[in-house]
Amino acid sequence: MTERVDLQEFIGGFVVEAAELVTAANAALLEIEAGHAEGTSRPKAVRDVFRALHTIKGLAGMVGVEAIVDIAHGLETLIRTADRAGGQLSRAAVEVALQGVRAIGERVRAVSEQRTPAAAPPRLLEAIASTDATGDAPAVAPQVSAELDARLSPSERAQLANAVAAGAPAWMLSFAPSESNAARGVTIGSVRSRLATLGEIVKVAPRTVTGPSGAQLGIAFDILVVSSAPRETLADAIAASLESVAPVLAPPPPVAQAPLPAGPGAEPSTRELAERDDATADVVPIGRAVIRVELSRLDELQEQLSLLTVSRFRLEREIAAMADAGHDVRRLRQVADLQGRQLRDLRRAILRARMVRVAEVLEPLSLLVRSLARSSERAVRLELDARDTELDKAVADRLLPAMVHLVRNAVDHAIEPAAERRARGKPEAGTIRVACTEIAGNQLELVVSDDGRGIDRAAIARRSERTIDHDADLLDVLCGPGFSTRDVATRTSGRGLGMDIVRRIAVSDLGGELRLATTPGAGTSFTMRIPLTISIVEVFAFACGRQAFVVPVSAIEEIFEIADAGITPPSAPGGRSQVSLLERRGRAIPMFSLGRELAIDDGAAARKAMVIRRGGEAVAFSVDRMLGRQEVVVRAIDDPLVQAPGIAGATDLGDGRPTLVLDLGELGLAARERQLP
Amino acid sequence: MKRLLVVDDSKLMRDMVAACLRPLGAVTFEFAGSGLEAIERLALAGFDLVVLDLNMPDVGGVEVIEFVRSQDRLRALPILIVTTRGDDESRARVLQAGASGFLAKPFAPAQILDEVRRLLPSSVT
Repeated sequence: MTERVDLQEFIGGFVVEAAELVTAANAALLEIEAGHAEGTSRPKAVRDVFRALHTIKGLAGMVGVEAIVDIAHGLETLIRTADRAGGQLSRAAVEVALQGVRAIGERVRAVSEQRTPAAAPPRLLEAIASTDATGDAPAVAPQVSAELDARLSPSERAQLANAVAAGAPAWMLSFAPSESNAARGVTIGSVRSRLATLGEIVKVAPRTVTGPSGAQLGIAFDILVVSSAPRETLADAIAASLESVAPVLAPPPPVAQAPLPAGPGAEPSTRELAERDDATADVVPIGRAVIRVELSRLDELQEQLSLLTVSRFRLEREIAAMADAGHDVRRLRQVADLQGRQLRDLRRAILRARMVRVAEVLEPLSLLVRSLARSSERAVRLELDARDTELDKAVADRLLPAMVHLVRNAVDHAIEPAAERRARGKPEAGTIRVACTEIAGNQLELVVSDDGRGIDRAAIARRSERTIDHDADLLDVLCGPGFSTRDVATRTSGRGLGMDIVRRIAVSDLGGELRLATTPGAGTSFTMRIPLTISIVEVFAFACGRQAFVVPVSAIEEIFEIADAGITPPSAPGGRSQVSLLERRGRAIPMFSLGRELAIDDGAAARKAMVIRRGGEAVAFSVDRMLGRQEVVVRAIDDPLVQAPGIAGATDLGDGRPTLVLDLGELGLAARERQLP
Repeated sequence: MKRLLVVDDSKLMRDMVAACLRPLGAVTFEFAGSGLEAIERLALAGFDLVVLDLNMPDVGGVEVIEFVRSQDRLRALPILIVTTRGDDESRARVLQAGASGFLAKPFAPAQILDEVRRLLPSSVT
């Protein structure tokens, strides 16, 4: 029995993983560049770049994207040379590698958009091949025992030397994996991640543990780590006693001939390490262990959850009805309450699954600043401080363009040229800081600040012919559509600021807020507060009794002109829930006036009928007129005082006014229950 | 039911290997994202075959093979190397280190399926 396997089904997975690897390679290259500025090498970052490119090459080969294989192969060869020479990568090599990685990124995008990626540009391949990989900074040799030294590759030796020179001692740890450790979740993988937070791992190697008779008892891992953490913390991280943590090297002045941990089996492992092939060089993994799930599948999960929530409301109603009828429902209610809590937990778990790390979302800003600074001939440093904040993928996708605008404006308009900064007594290189913290109420605060010239309020006031007393007024003017600083205060690009877009994203799209603070000569900061999660729904917008409402497209079965249908008017006029019978394709559908149901008007102006189906039965609502169809961000109404049956949330149609999202199903159920017992 | 360990630092590559081997039928797949994890898993549990990438974090494929072969109970474990470095020199080196089979990426699904069928102790399907 054979089953045909087509690797093209993995093209989506390729796009995702390759894009991550491109981001990782860029980040590592920028780190190497930062090292150049400080005069130090970054051998670990060099290995990271190498790994990323090697993996991209392998994956691209499997799914048959030859253009990417070619570029990745060239870069991999270039960077392997640097890695073997101790992890020095020259400035020229970083430059050409960034170009190459960008070319790979462009081709990954082409694949994701189902275009055929362009072949590898011959000039790029030539440039890569003709670049001298290694820098001229001398490699530093750490003073460790000859025995340990023999276990290290040139790159690891340089990494150890750099890390120790930076002021932390080196340790040799011995971790013994076991079934009991694994059962508690303590594995070499978890130990590795834990240690990576405590310091820098230089090397990990396996070792056979033998008994006195020479019998093999099991295995252990020797882990060389540079860390300022206390010995106790390191022992704790490997779930072992202090004897398993041996000091190897103290920070400068270096200690020569530090002892290696004594132990049976150290000998063969040393031999194996010494003979190790460079091509299998120890490189640190990129990214974390993750399972990727298409966002649409999480949306599906959320959709199912909402259905579950609805049926839970019905259950509660049934229980209440039973209680009213005099039944003892205490135990039923206990179970229902438990279920309610479990539903809440489930909702929270699903939301968590949609979260991405802000640090990763904002990573592209580093490359942006680098290229903008270059083209505008300014020296600019970007400080990204996102800590461990996370936010919903859907929010992240919308947020990034706003952040790009703010950072671009800061480089183009705020940071002064070096000469001007010198004259003002500022450091020549400007600093743009992007800080992100989670604040109360499930919100994220993002601050983009610069140490540039500040915004010239008077000039903006003249240009806009408005009086500007506060920063809030200033923000208002800047966020006017297409406002440009072309004529004011700067000698920059003259591009529109795009602040209207920033505000639209922050306020209308994400339901957040935007503030501005500026001090002439000292800098400007923009503060954005946005919710951590949003839900995006495609809706029909319609008018009813002078108000706009929206309803999810998925809830509507049909919309038609009431005039086109036969109508049997209400038998008993008056009262809130009057039902007419609407004849549609030979069926009679009960129709309620939405205006009456919501108690906002008498429904006389209704021209359109919207049909929904609930539990197999159709119900229609009459409304005044349809306004259109669009995607909106729905915000839950958290205030219990405002919560009402039939109201699913609130949104903004772009006019800045809150619009209610209706749950016509629930309204229909309520209306039918009142009217049709 | 045979147990296979697929070792690669790329999740996508692990998935692709498993997809290629799906026609084997009666096998369960387990996965490791690094050479270190592979060594740990092999030391703690029994497997019938390992599909191993060469270039991985911390401990590369060659080192994994050498370490596995130094363990008394793992000397006969079939190890299939799957690597982007498909040149003759790499092939000679990994076979000398003790690999049972060698496959260069990119490979066709049928190729890896044939190799694994050849290497599994008593054939399945």
